[in-house]
Amino acid sequence: MKKIRFIAQKELYHILRDMRSLIIIFVMPVMMTCLYGYAINMDIEHISLAVIDQDQTVQSRALIERFYRSNYFFPPKYPVNYHDPDQLMRASNAAAVLTIQPGFERAVQTQQAFELGLTIDGSEVSQAAAVQAYASGLLNEYLQDRLPPGTTLPGVRLAQQVLYNEDLESAHFFVPGIVSIILLMVSALLTSITIAREKDTGTLEQLLTAPVSPGQILIGKLLPYIGIAFIDGLLVLGFAKILFSVPFVGSFWLLMAVELIYVATALSIGILVSTMVPTQQLAMQFALLLTMLPSVMLSGFIFAVKNMPVFLQGVSRIVPATYFLKVVRGIMLKGSGFAVLAPQAGFLLILMMIFLLMAVRRFRARIG
Amino acid sequence: MWRAYIGVIQKEFRQGLRDRNTLRMLFFMPVIQLLLLGYAIQTDVKHLWLDVYDTDRSELSRKLVASLKAGDYFDVTDMETSGDNAPLWRLDQRFKEGKAEMALVIPEDFARKLETNQPVTVGWIADGTDANAARTGIGYAGQILRQFSSSVIGRQPNVQIRSEFLYNPEAESRFFMVPGIVATLLTMLTLMMTSMSIVRERELGTLEQVLVTPINSVTLLFGKLTTFTIMAMMIMGIALNLGILWFHVPFVGSWAFLIAVSLLYLLTTLGIGMFVSTITSTQQQAMFYAWFFSIFTMLTSGYFTPVANMPIWLQRVTLVNPMRYYIEIIRGIMMKGSGVWDLHLDIMALAIFGVVIFSFSALRFHKRTT
Repeated sequence: MKKIRFIAQKELYHILRDMRSLIIIFVMPVMMTCLYGYAINMDIEHISLAVIDQDQTVQSRALIERFYRSNYFFPPKYPVNYHDPDQLMRASNAAAVLTIQPGFERAVQTQQAFELGLTIDGSEVSQAAAVQAYASGLLNEYLQDRLPPGTTLPGVRLAQQVLYNEDLESAHFFVPGIVSIILLMVSALLTSITIAREKDTGTLEQLLTAPVSPGQILIGKLLPYIGIAFIDGLLVLGFAKILFSVPFVGSFWLLMAVELIYVATALSIGILVSTMVPTQQLAMQFALLLTMLPSVMLSGFIFAVKNMPVFLQGVSRIVPATYFLKVVRGIMLKGSGFAVLAPQAGFLLILMMIFLLMAVRRFRARIG
Repeated sequence: MWRAYIGVIQKEFRQGLRDRNTLRMLFFMPVIQLLLLGYAIQTDVKHLWLDVYDTDRSELSRKLVASLKAGDYFDVTDMETSGDNAPLWRLDQRFKEGKAEMALVIPEDFARKLETNQPVTVGWIADGTDANAARTGIGYAGQILRQFSSSVIGRQPNVQIRSEFLYNPEAESRFFMVPGIVATLLTMLTLMMTSMSIVRERELGTLEQVLVTPINSVTLLFGKLTTFTIMAMMIMGIALNLGILWFHVPFVGSWAFLIAVSLLYLLTTLGIGMFVSTITSTQQQAMFYAWFFSIFTMLTSGYFTPVANMPIWLQRVTLVNPMRYYIEIIRGIMMKGSGVWDLHLDIMALAIFGVVIFSFSALRFHKRTT
């Protein structure tokens, strides 16, 4: 026990002395939370829409006003050459062009069939579909307001209700996810360097000649990082609460318990990496490649796993962040309990065992 | 002078080609990243998991469910509505387990009301956790229900919108992402190559050795930068052709124009790489700074999500992000065939950044080495 404590203490001194690592440890989580929270915003609003009004009547102007008064559309910022709608889009001055041909007013009054033209810049994919939906919704509202008062239209209506994130804030979705990315980064990246550094500087041999077993070295080295990872996790959670007012519905202690399993998994990956490569440089590159890219891209952090090709869906199953993401979001936003999250926690546990076994094996083999 | 310059380029190429790890990083990484990201990134919301609680079980209600099933917007699960097995309150449970994202509740009098020309309301419950998916799903539902209604009551609103998607009629998110991936690759690779190569020479002490030869620091610097420019353009060529051949991304505009603008953009990234090399002393530090800078520029460039969605203060920050302009240019050229006049504002911004950053860093580098 005492030996483990000494190793842990030594490791802690190493960390505290190294400014560069300290920056990674405490500044990065804060920066990442702000960046992802503010920059990744899927709420599509403020779309620049140019209108070519060839009708020039009271009705057409009322329609245009309704479009611009909704939160979705605003007129293009730069003066626009209306004779060449194509140029508007090539220069990205407008995301869509609405054309109102002559006869619109007459059609509204006489109930004749009429078509409005909407040309959408399809190169901004995520925006294009939304533009279409918003426009047809706004037009429908406009037409309904033009009906004589008291008429009820037959047909199906939608009564919609949103659970868990009533205001549909993107930040509520992304910020909890950052916890899983940060924890992984801190745990895997830093531990991968720690053993490689001892190899680089030749102190690993010295450590091994001391009266401690390899297992004790491993555990002692890991303890400080577990502590740091937890502090980082709390830091991100705190920022989520203060800056983005993300709700926390579920049990805090359940989250901490699963976090422990997750951190242990990430640490095992870090050690595995550091036993495989000879230098710090390579360790860092490897750890980045093995953890950051898959956990950001393949875990469902930003992009839904089920829309990926089957092969990548398979890969996402061995990415620990995939499981932890579901747990964090479930606990924080939906208040899910243990019964619901047990499968995720179980998978994490299995992944941890596999990585840890591989890591200890390799570490022993290299020492022996 | 010229011979020294050519000599430096030769040395750099030889050094680069000799080192397996560097080679791997230079040529494997772009290919893997492009393939991985090209497949993984799907910004369009599709195949939402929808639970249907049909308490009516009439022909009309089944028709509604069928119209939701058509198309690839919803993957429908038909939930039992009678018996103890699946009462409605399991809805919350299904959301928590992550087995459903949306639920539709059809009331018992659905068909009766429709047939007697009365309005009828159906319930649509969405899991708001993924705000984007929820909002899009509700939008789809509204559209499908509108179509269903007008086909049942046989009347359509008289004014319709006919919409047309330019440049990307199938709304493929790959067409949107691939130019972005190429831009980020170019940025990350040139930044890392420049900063690490200079710092490595300093770390190994070979920088002094080179400088005692008749090669002066300016020649050395330009030789190195020329090498990186050539390599970067090669990588860009590989990545772009891969995108075009493998993912069938369109390339409408002019290659020559794209290459010219890319060279202009490289002024900036090479300049920042040089700057990083003057403020760091080890390769690891250089790598970390370069990496951090890349992430920051990537997230605020409009690569993932449109800049217009960000809060106003962050939009102002993006104005000083060179990658923001470059991404707009490369997307414009590839997908829309934009020309010089269409993009003149972005090009001017890139030129200003390039000249200022490059000359500032070159001066700093010169000062530090003499």
